[in-house]
Amino acid sequence: MPNKTISVRIDGELVTANEGETILEAARANGKHIPTLCYLKGLSAVGACRVCVVELAGTDRLLPACTTPIQDGMSIKTSSAKLTLYRRMAVELLLVERNHICSSCVSNSHCELQAMTQSLGITHVRYAYNNPRLQVDMTHPRFVLDHNRCILCTRCVRTCAEVEGANVWEVASRGIHSRIVSDMMDKWGQAKSCTNCGKCVQACPTGALAEKGMSVMEMVKQTDNVTRLAEQRASH
Amino acid sequence: MPRILDIGVFNAVRESGLAKLMPAIPRITVGMGTCGRGNGAEELYHALNEAIQHSGLDVMLTGVGCFGSCFQEPLVSVRLPGSPLLMLRHVQANDTGRILEGLSAQKMPSDLLYCKIEEWDHITAHVRYGQGYPDIPQWNAIPFFKGQKKIVLRNCGLINPSDIEEYIAVGGYQALYKVLIDGRPETVIEQIKASRLRGRGGAGFLTGNKWDFMAKAKADTKYVICNADEGDPGAYMNRNEIEGDPHSLIEGMIVGAYVMGSTEGIIYVRAEYPLAVSRLNKAIEQAREYGMLGQNILDRGFNFNLQLVQGAGAFVCGEETALIASLEGFAGRPHPRPPFPAQKGLWGKPTNINNVETWCNIAPIVSRGPAWFAETGSAKSPGTKVFSLVGKVQNTGLVEMPLGTPLKNFIYDIGEGAGNGRHVKAVQTGGPSGGCIPVDMLDIPVDYESLAQIGSIMGSGGMVVMDEDNCMVDVARYFIEFTHSESCGKCVPCRVGLNKALRILNAITSGNGDVDHMSLLDELGRMIRECSLCGLGQSAPNPVLTTLRHFRDEYEDHIVAHRCRAGVCQELALSPCENSCPLRMNIPRFLELYQEGRLEDAFDSVIMDNPLPASTGRVCQHPCDNRCRRQSFDEVVNMREVHRFLADSIYQSELFEPMLERLKARKLAPTGHKIAVAGSGPTGLTAAFYLVMLGHDVTIFEERSEAGGMLRFAIPEYRLPKAILRRELDLIEGVGVKMEFNVRVGFDLPLNDLASRFDAVFLSIGTWKESWLYLPGTELKGVYPALPFLESVAKREKTSMGKRVAVIGGGNAAIDSARTLLRQGAQVTILYRRERKDMPAIEEEIKAAEDEGVKLVYLAAPHRIVGDADGSVKAIEIVKTRLGEYDKSGRKRPIPTDEVQRYECDSVILAVGETFDQDFCRASGLALKEEGTMVVDRFTLETSRKNFYAGGDVITGASNVSNAMGCGKQAARKIDERLTGEERWESLFPDVEYSRQAPGEPSLSRRHEGHCLPAKARAQNEEEVVEGLSAQQALEECQRCLRCDLRAAVSAK
Repeated sequence: MPNKTISVRIDGELVTANEGETILEAARANGKHIPTLCYLKGLSAVGACRVCVVELAGTDRLLPACTTPIQDGMSIKTSSAKLTLYRRMAVELLLVERNHICSSCVSNSHCELQAMTQSLGITHVRYAYNNPRLQVDMTHPRFVLDHNRCILCTRCVRTCAEVEGANVWEVASRGIHSRIVSDMMDKWGQAKSCTNCGKCVQACPTGALAEKGMSVMEMVKQTDNVTRLAEQRASH
Repeated sequence: MPRILDIGVFNAVRESGLAKLMPAIPRITVGMGTCGRGNGAEELYHALNEAIQHSGLDVMLTGVGCFGSCFQEPLVSVRLPGSPLLMLRHVQANDTGRILEGLSAQKMPSDLLYCKIEEWDHITAHVRYGQGYPDIPQWNAIPFFKGQKKIVLRNCGLINPSDIEEYIAVGGYQALYKVLIDGRPETVIEQIKASRLRGRGGAGFLTGNKWDFMAKAKADTKYVICNADEGDPGAYMNRNEIEGDPHSLIEGMIVGAYVMGSTEGIIYVRAEYPLAVSRLNKAIEQAREYGMLGQNILDRGFNFNLQLVQGAGAFVCGEETALIASLEGFAGRPHPRPPFPAQKGLWGKPTNINNVETWCNIAPIVSRGPAWFAETGSAKSPGTKVFSLVGKVQNTGLVEMPLGTPLKNFIYDIGEGAGNGRHVKAVQTGGPSGGCIPVDMLDIPVDYESLAQIGSIMGSGGMVVMDEDNCMVDVARYFIEFTHSESCGKCVPCRVGLNKALRILNAITSGNGDVDHMSLLDELGRMIRECSLCGLGQSAPNPVLTTLRHFRDEYEDHIVAHRCRAGVCQELALSPCENSCPLRMNIPRFLELYQEGRLEDAFDSVIMDNPLPASTGRVCQHPCDNRCRRQSFDEVVNMREVHRFLADSIYQSELFEPMLERLKARKLAPTGHKIAVAGSGPTGLTAAFYLVMLGHDVTIFEERSEAGGMLRFAIPEYRLPKAILRRELDLIEGVGVKMEFNVRVGFDLPLNDLASRFDAVFLSIGTWKESWLYLPGTELKGVYPALPFLESVAKREKTSMGKRVAVIGGGNAAIDSARTLLRQGAQVTILYRRERKDMPAIEEEIKAAEDEGVKLVYLAAPHRIVGDADGSVKAIEIVKTRLGEYDKSGRKRPIPTDEVQRYECDSVILAVGETFDQDFCRASGLALKEEGTMVVDRFTLETSRKNFYAGGDVITGASNVSNAMGCGKQAARKIDERLTGEERWESLFPDVEYSRQAPGEPSLSRRHEGHCLPAKARAQNEEEVVEGLSAQQALEECQRCLRCDLRAAVSAK
């Protein structure tokens, strides 16, 4: 059943969108770029990273494009000085939260956080690094979980729940102490529900989840595969 | 068990309830809310119960909820048949005998009596208890209750919350019955819409609209939820509402469920509220028994189940989407809206969530109608709101006020101000994510829009009052620490942003702040507010943003000067006394040194901190007394008298010369810089002393023929003998300060000359010009300003003031003038327009004046001075004033009345404030502020003119000796830094070894005061009134120190 079409304005341009789409989907369908980090096409959107915030005419509130349904007559602005500042700050905060050392990272040059940092023109951070002492879980025979590189986007959580249906991953604790955990806080290698499918690794935007045996710059993620599988699953 | 199926049974239950509420026997109630229990209500209840059983009296005893005035708990109400309800306060278990005796005598113990209630508007019913006891004030004549309107709290503290029949007796469940019989849900929604009731959880969304969305949602199951997850520090409205009147909430929910088409209800309440949980459980059980819940409610065919779920205490579960996640068994993390709960809520079904207080408003609106509801409150925010008023106010408790009431009414009328001579500095509304509103903005009306406009929120109704003992940076840090630890961690701004904000605030409060931190915090706060996913993050930065906006100077103090004026940030202070001292004297050190028998070391410690120890030991307003922690044990240590004793001991002995030699030896090598100081008052002397010690060549230029400024020419001999001052001046000249007398800077010596001859100039010329009052008769002979009068006396010039003198004013100059006149044999009357507690003069000076026989007339504003035929003063007329509203100084504004009084007198002294001659400033390019003080940089004391610095009264307005000296000390440090380009200050103060052992047991001796001469005798002469401490007394005083300067080393894991 074809969706009802609505007309909206994105960056001043009058475009059409399908009712039920999010702002992000409508914008992308019309060739407009909105940066995202926690969003992965095919998975449910959670609005966690706030990099995709946009301005809506008539309100002071900023809206996350990935979760906000677009409505008839909306006028959206996808870039402004304020949006750039806040997007930069969000990424800056992620960079200082944990230990992101690109030079020694398997995902160097193939990392969405790194790419976002570059595209937003972030050359330095103004806040002190937290330098937390975090663990690396090497217990899984094929994969590695490095909390130092995790940005808590929860793509792994959603991939495992929505695509694989195994529900291995969850976020434990809260606030700055939040951590990705497998099963009932077991080591990944001991997580009985894990099917070893590796889709979470492919969905992860950084080097937090990686295949074992990779050296610096060698881990290239196949996020498109996750999207394709998710969409296939949804269409069934 | 009367299951109510028709109006007949309903009315029978109602009668039965009324018989309990107003029985034919005496009824005693005890306030058994959490606040009452915390103050001993349970013991009291048991004691009363036992005493009643024991006495065999026919008395009904029952527990009720909180009546609001938590600061008066435990509260007891006593009612004899046909009589008003008498409220008793602070009742303890051992008062039971007196209360029971009072029943037969029909007279309650007067010390316990609080107020009476003759009739009560329960909104859904009106109860007349009876009339009588004309001497006892009506409940709403008590300041705490004046202006309150109890709609939500209509039954709290009056009915037994565990008895549904008492609730029905006061009109409970009538609204429900009416709605069910009418059977027209849409009319009820229209009513709620028309009332413009707004959600009381904080966001203020229109309840009627929210209900409408839900009613229109189509689904087989719909849920109504009560959000009772109250988690704000300092707020407990919902707890007391539930504890005092659980059925009001339940009735609101049943009505809501019916009109929105829901059959399932959930109350989500904090597990930390055990009493509220147990009362709710009891109430739900009773409601079910009586046919208000379950199947076929009131025989109208409506089914509704209500269950109670206890929340595990996460603050974020107050956010509705997180609450729903928590109910579904997930971690309490919010979801983005849309979809809104009304579309897709609990288990994916349409869900309506309202706060406890919103639900409690439903029955009154249904039974009295929306027009009645809108009569109260403001147009956009109708109705009332319950606030928990806590913090630095005298009266604390739950306050229900019409929305739109000015904030200052809460603080000053209901709370009756900070009390104890303290001043309210700010109010934080809306819990941990509310903003701090400074005292000069307290005129704003408390409603959703006004609070939002100034960066705060209504929130759930917390109201925390703060005074000068609260550090606003620490307040912001505290609340960020709270929201940071309660952040769920889902979105980046709240999770990481709050963490960064907290780290920055921790750095600032521990003395590691950076000037960039303020702009970083501001930017971070805005980003977190605008970008966060849910209400927690969106409002969490409010405390930081508002304190940055309204209390920026406190941030600067912490960052630039490493100073916390409130003395809260421990790492920025040695001890509370040191922090309070304008000279930052190391008080514990000299107390310890003297205790160790090291008189000279103790004095050396004092003199390096304070170059006028004998004078300040006599006339300082001793802010240290307000801070000393010993006051929580018995009385504060008399630190001022100890340093006076140390100074007197050295000055009056052969130890003086060796001490002076030691001081000279400590001087730093000559720098070759020449510095001029204008004015030889305490400010100038202090600056000159330190600058000489730092190796500079310093010359003081003094207008008069002797040094000392106000110490010499304003403070009278009986407070500060000139011989003592002389000794201090000897010391200052002894270390090498040069003085030139009879030179008036700016007139005899132009500033340009000074600028060319000296590397730096420090202006400390004081405020010698008396402000003039413009009232009829000031031109008469015999009207004098206070300072010139005191100066003439100090110069031993002849003054002829006559027999009767009136002094106008309430500051130290007024008291000094009055006591001096007394010593000249005059009868003196001080006329002051406010009350005694508002007088700026030092308290012990006022007391001494009274003792000596000065007459003080308060609430007296000068009206006119009457002259005789030859133009001399004959009398003064004053207008009596009454105290009106609170002004921005936190004092009540005096308002003239029609009553004029006349005092015959021969002369009048005007002591209404001082200023200085500003013409030369204007002429020489020194910028002035509007209020007439010189513009200086707060930290470097530089004026608008290069190399010119200023300090003392010229920058602060008339102040006091120690504040002035503090300026002098600061100026010396900054001038030295500027001239030498180095930080050499600390090198002036060599480390002295002294014990850092904490006293095992504090000395039990009581505070020693300097002995005063008898009032009668001393008023005849100029002899010094207060004798110093003896050596033994001084030693004992030193031993009383609790050594707050010592820190226990606790290793943090």
